[in-house]
Amino acid sequence: MRIIFSVSFLVLILWTAIMLSTQSKPIETGKQPLVWTSDDNPLRKEQIDLFNKLHPDLSLKLDPVNQGMEKVIVQSLAGVGPDLIDCRDAAQLSAYVDSGIAWDVTDQLKASGINLESDAWKCMLPMTTRNGRDYAVPTNSAVNAIWINKATFEEEGVPIPTGPLTWEEFIKVAERMTKRDAKGKPIRFGFLMDWWNWPHFFFGFGGRVYNEDGTKCTIDSEESIAALTFMHDLVYKYKVCPSAVDEASMSSAGGWGSGTINLFGSGRGAMALGGRWWLANLRQIPDLNLSAIESPYAKERLFSRAGRTTIINSASPRRELALKFLIYLASPEYANLVNDQADGIAAFKKYTEGSRFDTNPKYPNEDYNAVWRDATEFAYGNPDSPFVNSARVQRIIDKAIDLVRIDAQSPRVALTNAAKEINLAIKENLAERPDLAKKYKEVTGAESP
Amino acid sequence: MKGTRKRHELTVALAFLAPNLIGFGVFTCFPVLYSFFASLSNWNLQNPNQTSFVGFRNYAVLLQDPQFWTYLINTGYFFLGLPFAIMGSLWLAILLNRKLSLGTAYRTLLYIPSFTSGVAIMILWKSLYNPDYGPINETLRHFIDFIGLNGQITPPQWLSSTKNVFGLEIDKPGINPTQFGIGARDALIYMGIWTAIGGNNMLLYLAALTNVPEELVEATQIDGASRWQSFLHVIWPTLAPTTFFIVIMSIIGGMQGGFEQAKVMTNGGPAGTTTTVAYHIYTKAFEEFQVGYASAIAWVLFAIVFGLSLFTWKFGNRAGENG
Amino acid sequence: MKDSIGKRFAIYALLTALSLLTLAPFVWMVATSLKPLGEVESSQLLPKLAQPDNYPQVFKQINFARYYANSIFVAAWVTFLTCLTSSMAAYAFARRIWPGRDLVFKLYLATLMIPGVVTMIPNFALMVKLGLLDSYAGLIIPASFSAFGTFLLRQFMLTIPMALDEAAMIDGATPWQIFWNVAMPAARGGLIALAVFTFMGNYGSFFWPLILIKSEGLRTLPIGLMYFDTMYGRATHLLMAASVMSIIPPALLFILLQKHLVRGIQLGAVKG
Repeated sequence: MRIIFSVSFLVLILWTAIMLSTQSKPIETGKQPLVWTSDDNPLRKEQIDLFNKLHPDLSLKLDPVNQGMEKVIVQSLAGVGPDLIDCRDAAQLSAYVDSGIAWDVTDQLKASGINLESDAWKCMLPMTTRNGRDYAVPTNSAVNAIWINKATFEEEGVPIPTGPLTWEEFIKVAERMTKRDAKGKPIRFGFLMDWWNWPHFFFGFGGRVYNEDGTKCTIDSEESIAALTFMHDLVYKYKVCPSAVDEASMSSAGGWGSGTINLFGSGRGAMALGGRWWLANLRQIPDLNLSAIESPYAKERLFSRAGRTTIINSASPRRELALKFLIYLASPEYANLVNDQADGIAAFKKYTEGSRFDTNPKYPNEDYNAVWRDATEFAYGNPDSPFVNSARVQRIIDKAIDLVRIDAQSPRVALTNAAKEINLAIKENLAERPDLAKKYKEVTGAESP
Repeated sequence: MKGTRKRHELTVALAFLAPNLIGFGVFTCFPVLYSFFASLSNWNLQNPNQTSFVGFRNYAVLLQDPQFWTYLINTGYFFLGLPFAIMGSLWLAILLNRKLSLGTAYRTLLYIPSFTSGVAIMILWKSLYNPDYGPINETLRHFIDFIGLNGQITPPQWLSSTKNVFGLEIDKPGINPTQFGIGARDALIYMGIWTAIGGNNMLLYLAALTNVPEELVEATQIDGASRWQSFLHVIWPTLAPTTFFIVIMSIIGGMQGGFEQAKVMTNGGPAGTTTTVAYHIYTKAFEEFQVGYASAIAWVLFAIVFGLSLFTWKFGNRAGENG
Repeated sequence: MKDSIGKRFAIYALLTALSLLTLAPFVWMVATSLKPLGEVESSQLLPKLAQPDNYPQVFKQINFARYYANSIFVAAWVTFLTCLTSSMAAYAFARRIWPGRDLVFKLYLATLMIPGVVTMIPNFALMVKLGLLDSYAGLIIPASFSAFGTFLLRQFMLTIPMALDEAAMIDGATPWQIFWNVAMPAARGGLIALAVFTFMGNYGSFFWPLILIKSEGLRTLPIGLMYFDTMYGRATHLLMAASVMSIIPPALLFILLQKHLVRGIQLGAVKG
């Protein structure tokens, strides 16, 4: 027994020597390191390579985190956060700004000639700017539209929709495209959507999560209830969408619904609600003949926005160098790469105009790029409320949506409960935070909702 | 004489304990104490500057929060699989303890789920549970067809259903008859049994079975005892320390469990039904940034686990002495 | 114990059935790893046309070999250190009688019940203070002190009579010799089990390496697998191919140790 332990120990020491000596050299001499926390995927690698090529004196590396902010929070608390950090929504930016992690780069951007207000897509501003100060540059932009699998339409002999439809017209098409076998088991759905895309429906129906100044949750408005009822009907009344239960089991770990992408890619759906970024997956599937049209809407021409922005860690000793990356994000070289990769679309409007974007010579079949650009004009992201933790709100709303999705509660009951719970959360938060309570009173004149 | 002996024993013991004890102090005791102080504060990662001492307020709030109790019930629900997993492991170990020519192969096959990284297993099972296209329901539908009940019963909706075998209410403690059935929590339990049954517990039992005196088993059988009797009187008592160990570890693991499944498979849903206390702690700390509050939940959880283990300890030790 | 032929047959049939049940999901896993992306969501088990190219693709897209080596290396060190420190502590708890022993042991056990999420922030800060961030040492050292292992080995060491230690002591053996020659052989089965557990547990560990490691060259397998599962969708076919490959090293280890486990079973019965 003693021999086994001694030999193992010697082997491990030897092995350690080998592992350490084969470790790739951390930084090439003379290069300054920069660390970017973003998701680990092939698109990111190309974007980093291009940056390093344009800046031979810098060495940008990826620190992977695919979902959530826990890594950044923990590292930043310990004073060793990355230099550059991605934000996925307005609430994340607020969290970074409030905790002092995000660096105010308003003056630096101005000096570099970057004007987010006029150049970036309007929908991205809630993710870059707080109280008139800029903290981030948008990395890409994304909006939902309707994907169409042309082959399925040809198979059914149904004319391929080419222009914007109303929801009524859309449902008729979707009903014709839904196909079941003799037992009623679905072969193909007319429409695929992810329930986490609820804001897309809510905005289009005129619903909002909060009132204007974020002091009160309004998710129980008639508009919101109508939107959720419509989503419910797509599944249970018109039966053009996968029964809600399938959707849950298909959507991916991060809730990004890649199951839906794969389902659509395998011909199981004639149409689907999704972004241009689906192409990152769909391009890998041969013989897929696609088209896209703008999404229908009920009341307001608004489509939910996705996309990311990047902030600089204010505690980073290299934050001046990190600025070069933000400037890179606003450059045409980067924008063209994003457009080519279909990593959403470029976040600056001017880089999506012209024939290079409309018909990319590398992908001549993709003749629908203009649809995404034009829809981005009407993209909208719900602003978060400064008075409540957004992750908590997200969980409360998710629960309400879940209950409707599985047909356990009516949209009215679910949303009324959710609004109550969120307003209670605001109240609790105000009791906990005197600074917010003061601000709340200034805005509303009342103590709590 | 006695005094020096005692002191000597203590020195020897400390020398042997030292490596583990030091590492332990640094990487466990320090963080634990740290988290206890955190639980008495309103520490919030989002505005750490406003941190102040709040006494036991977090605990008071927590005990009145119906969500906490719901998640505690969820956590308890997952214990339903425990007896099956443990008895299954023991049964498999006894089967494999014979001198079978293919013993090694079977042991390896049954242990495979424990090789595979947890995340891969969960992604795999998520696909298996797909209500429409997943192989599990595909098989169940064939079976329903076969027994001629087509149209009368449908396969469970697995991960997207809030139903459960007790008919527990979705969002608060209580019973709701419409919730009676099979749902996400049960799906996670089956997956847990599948993963655990041929895994570490079976190995522990196999190792422990080496200490069962074979002569004694044979002797009781010569005396005309049935196999069940020799199991009850010879094998089971010898295995008592191992069973005790497995039960305690399962309770501790179970109370802290459900985090990875929730993160990878269900996001704690549908409607919070697969959110366990551990996942709740995680979301409070790392998504809502309330580290103080999250630490308080952790300490309440700790108290519960401690109480349960103490109970098992008393009970288990008595059972061990009797054997 | 000799079983009749019919009985042996029944046992084999039962074990085969159970093994098949265990294996079925993996058959699906391997089948998916051979599918093109477009067929991943199909209910057909077998791909229309097998695409073995998924496997080389994994190596092409990420530095899979390096992640592989890192995972095994880190898990091996953790296993070694855990076995050593745990067995020493277990010896102190099981084979020595000293004042306060039971109290200290209970404290040990109590720490097992602390949920891991809570200790993470202070532990991370500690790593930064010790300068172990982004290093092998930071992955290995905090994982190498196990209350679980101590408990496990103590249970094993309790199964042999104290008379053996006393006899050795009368023969003039030092505690160190008794530890190696009396206590450790008794814990042999437990040690092998602990080694296997520790290796598996650490090989698949996800959260700690995720927050601790920044360099590409230090990433472990579970972090590498994330590459195929991002917000831009999941490359399920590649993920499954990578997962299939990631099973191989622990499987080999298990088959290797399996022999020792069997021998341990045979020897243990005689010695006990």
